[in-house]
Amino acid sequence: MTLATTDNVIAAEPSLLVRMMRMLLADKFALSAAIFLLVILAIAIIGPSWLGDLATKQNLRGRNLPPFDWTRTWVWWMGADALGRPLFARIIVAAQNTLMVAAGAVILSSVIGTVLGLIAGFSSPRTGQIIMRLADVIMSFPSLLIAVIVLYVLGSSILNLMLVLAITRIPVYLRTTRAEVLEIRERMFVQAARVMGASSKRILFRHILPVVLPTLTTLATLDFAYVMLAESALSFLGIGIQPPEITWGLMISQGRQYLTNAWWLSFWPGLAIILTTMSLNLLSNWMRIALDPVQRWRLEMKGGKNG
Amino acid sequence: MLRFIRQRALASLISLIGLIVMVFFLSRMTGDPAALFLPVEASAEMKDQFRELHGLNDPILVQFARYVGDVATGDLGQSLRKARPALDVVLEAFTWTLWLAIITMTLVTGAAIVVGSLGAFRSGGFFDRFSSMISLVGASVPDFWLAIVAIVIFSINFAILPTSGTGSVLHWILPIAVLFVRPFGIIVQVVRGAMVGALSSAYVKTARAKGVKSGPIIFIHALRNAMLPVITVVGDQAASLLNGAVVVETIFGFPGVGKLMIDSILQRDFNVVLAAILVTAIAIFLMNVLIDLAYALLDPRIRH
Amino acid sequence: MKRSLLLGVLMLGSALSPAFGESGPIKIVLPEEADLLEPCMATRSNIGRIIMQNVSETLTELDVRGGKGLMPRLAESWEQKEDGSWRFNLRKGVKFSDGTDFNAKDVKYSFDRVMSDKNACESRRYFGGMNIKIDVVDDATIDFTVDPVQPILPLLLSLLTIVPEETPMEFVREPVGTGPYELTDWTPGQQIVLTARDDYWGEKPEVTEATYLFRSDPAVRAAMVQTGEADLSPSISQTEATNPATDFSYLDSETVYLRIDHNIEPLNDVRVRRALNLAIDREAFLGTLVPDSAVLATAIVPRPTLGWNPDVKVFPYDPDQAKKLIEEAKADGVKVDTPITIIARTANFPNVTEIMEAIQAQLQEVGLQVELKFVEVAEHEVYYSKPFKDGRGPQLVAAMHDNSKGDPSFSMFFKYDSEGTQSGFADPKVDDLIARANAAVGDERAKLWSELIAYVHDEVVADVLLFHMVGFSRVSERLDFKPTMATNSMLQLSEIKIK
Repeated sequence: MTLATTDNVIAAEPSLLVRMMRMLLADKFALSAAIFLLVILAIAIIGPSWLGDLATKQNLRGRNLPPFDWTRTWVWWMGADALGRPLFARIIVAAQNTLMVAAGAVILSSVIGTVLGLIAGFSSPRTGQIIMRLADVIMSFPSLLIAVIVLYVLGSSILNLMLVLAITRIPVYLRTTRAEVLEIRERMFVQAARVMGASSKRILFRHILPVVLPTLTTLATLDFAYVMLAESALSFLGIGIQPPEITWGLMISQGRQYLTNAWWLSFWPGLAIILTTMSLNLLSNWMRIALDPVQRWRLEMKGGKNG
Repeated sequence: MLRFIRQRALASLISLIGLIVMVFFLSRMTGDPAALFLPVEASAEMKDQFRELHGLNDPILVQFARYVGDVATGDLGQSLRKARPALDVVLEAFTWTLWLAIITMTLVTGAAIVVGSLGAFRSGGFFDRFSSMISLVGASVPDFWLAIVAIVIFSINFAILPTSGTGSVLHWILPIAVLFVRPFGIIVQVVRGAMVGALSSAYVKTARAKGVKSGPIIFIHALRNAMLPVITVVGDQAASLLNGAVVVETIFGFPGVGKLMIDSILQRDFNVVLAAILVTAIAIFLMNVLIDLAYALLDPRIRH
Repeated sequence: MKRSLLLGVLMLGSALSPAFGESGPIKIVLPEEADLLEPCMATRSNIGRIIMQNVSETLTELDVRGGKGLMPRLAESWEQKEDGSWRFNLRKGVKFSDGTDFNAKDVKYSFDRVMSDKNACESRRYFGGMNIKIDVVDDATIDFTVDPVQPILPLLLSLLTIVPEETPMEFVREPVGTGPYELTDWTPGQQIVLTARDDYWGEKPEVTEATYLFRSDPAVRAAMVQTGEADLSPSISQTEATNPATDFSYLDSETVYLRIDHNIEPLNDVRVRRALNLAIDREAFLGTLVPDSAVLATAIVPRPTLGWNPDVKVFPYDPDQAKKLIEEAKADGVKVDTPITIIARTANFPNVTEIMEAIQAQLQEVGLQVELKFVEVAEHEVYYSKPFKDGRGPQLVAAMHDNSKGDPSFSMFFKYDSEGTQSGFADPKVDDLIARANAAVGDERAKLWSELIAYVHDEVVADVLLFHMVGFSRVSERLDFKPTMATNSMLQLSEIKIK
């Protein structure tokens, strides 16, 4: 009995993982995005122990070395920074801190924001009102002031940096979620579920969250870029990441003064941020289709054609 | 409606007061303005006298009571550094910021809705891929790159626009163009995403099944449905512009509230910080009221 | 039609005007807007650059261009009397820009205003620790009796801006002075305009009107002179200064150094402090992170300052010797492995991040544990000035000190005396030398300062002196102007000539 069922399933529909892989193969953009992100992830894990020494070795006589000098080893192909350190190696080493801060801040803000938004949209008007006004307050609190206060009261650390960046981004998730919830909960299928006696929790997570999620994912992937750039602005205050630690954002701001005569200093880290954001976004757009039963056929059709 | 506005005004007033109280106490924990106003060589007596002049030696609760009293009579205090009323300083700067934000966001919203929904209409097509790429680059490019490159191209090489400053319409072009890019990139993505969802949603399909053939009608239906998240994100981006566009203000020498806020925070000019937050907060609160009204307009089922 | 006619007339007018001599308006772009234009705050650079000697004048003036020393300005002459007090004979027929006459009462009032408790004038700091009695002898004569006797009072008075007696004690935003210019427009955030006065007592300057603009980005300042939106930018970045026709470098009297906190082990050991100095390859910075024309520092004050000591030599780059000294200290039980923190201020001077990273690497090279911490201006002040925090670790504070005033007394007490607010040590011999030098005059004064500079550098090894910095300016080709050491704090429009 059990055996037969398994056979049937395999014949009729391959496992989720295989199906996802097929759909990924069908979308070349999403595939390259996924590969790129995997590479970045791998680099982030091994980077510091692999190239850490090379990336901090200074050579004042070889400063601002231009890129594309193929005669040297590959770490020099992107040129060198103002202290003569190879940019390629620095970008690889910086990936870890960058991703940690960005992912930490984005995940923190989106989760908190979404949960609060769900509560605000679904609970009593009074609770909703309180949460929304709280969001107003955060929205009009300058992030720099939050940073300075955190710096003075709590001291500087990577965790506090994540905290500052996360706090400032909460309102957008909160407001987006709540607006959608207000609309969706009036829709037919939610009303129906409610009439049928589904618990609030079930309605929230089964019916409402899936509808809100795509927009939130789009926002979150774009926030990655924002957080990576904002972090460099805060390092100006001495909060969070400081030299000789590196992040892409810090590299960009250090290259700023050389923009007109050594563009590569800020260009490569900028490109790394752009490519990462783009990959995340392509992948999330793909995921949105792949997970949507109504639209999935698009990818599966293409996959079929290619195969 | 009236009841909604009255309730909302009351709730906003309470949170505004909360905000100011919080900023008042927290900002005073971040260091001594006397040490920043006077040179490092200044004697302890000189610093003490500076604090005495500005009432910073009093217990913090006394300072707070005095501030509340002043605010009640419409006086937001003097700037610690500029020897003029903090509110004047802020309003001057905020006027510039407000115009910059309104013009930029109007242009951004219009352009992003057109580009984003066109992309969604032929999702996965060439235009979609191309516009997505451009907008994603826009959303993740460091703004000072754009600003400096724009100056080099349009002011130095072609010499058709002034590098920076204020004075003529031409002076507004580069700041607006640079400010345009990031919100445009984000809002295009949000519009596109929401439209893809809306176009595949049940009732658009129903409309199609019912034989509504003409594109525009379906389009408008879907757009109306997709506007909810778009308006929210437009609001978020507008709020960050109202808080001041620091990089653009610094590079283009644009006298907005962003640089004023940064300078005042770094120099611990508490009264200016408080006045600036008060003014921008009122603007942001008002904007959020408008956004909530827009929700209700778009979807009458949303009640407050 | 009518308009073009009018335009033609206007253009004719402006085409003709050079015939009356090379004069006209100019535009100057500065990095930072003045928050105030208060005369008694003119010793702060962002204010002084605009009003010092342009709007507000002083009794005396230090010649920073030539070697003329102290020159008369509103005082025609001065002398020290038998009892050590000073008599100043004032210029006659001078008018303030509000039309009132300048006389000795204004001088007394200006001084009283600086010392008043109704404002927070920063120039008061130059008269600290003195008891000054002022007697107005007549309209054009004034006596200063100072206790203790102050040999450099005439120099100190080059920092006291003169305001009319009618000025309120509180800060003003519209300065009135005797200078060649008056403030005619101030649109905060946008521009400040000074216009030449017709009734100025001295020679009429060529610049008839100066408009000050403010841009914080150095690339934009450089671009503005290039595109003709401005005529002069006193500070652009080194990387922008590439056009020999318009870009000049100048020694700007800023000295960069690492202040050592001698109170904390292992920095309390002179061998460790000497090792710090030997471990840094100062030469390698020149032409790389620090402009080529910068000067390696052997004193906290730059060269033309009184008592600058040519016999004091820069520490050589000798990492082996440094390692040896550290080993010796270690053998004697000094905890040389304690991590030392370098505290620096973000954006304090160009390339500060890179310079500090390089210094950190060089110090680590000789076996020291070094950490780097960047802080914003308010927090930097907490580390730099007394009272120091209890329970702190060994610290080096990177700082920049500016003295373009010709005498070390503006630096030495603050940086080296045991009572000095930024002094990291206490040495009775240093205190004694400073006290004696402050009271001495002439060659004796120079000798004592020289002795102090050598002692602090060679025996105490008080700090890690690095560079006397260089600034870069861009000057439009239609102007004839060379920046000087004082340009940072003062920009006299009368020194700008129009070609």
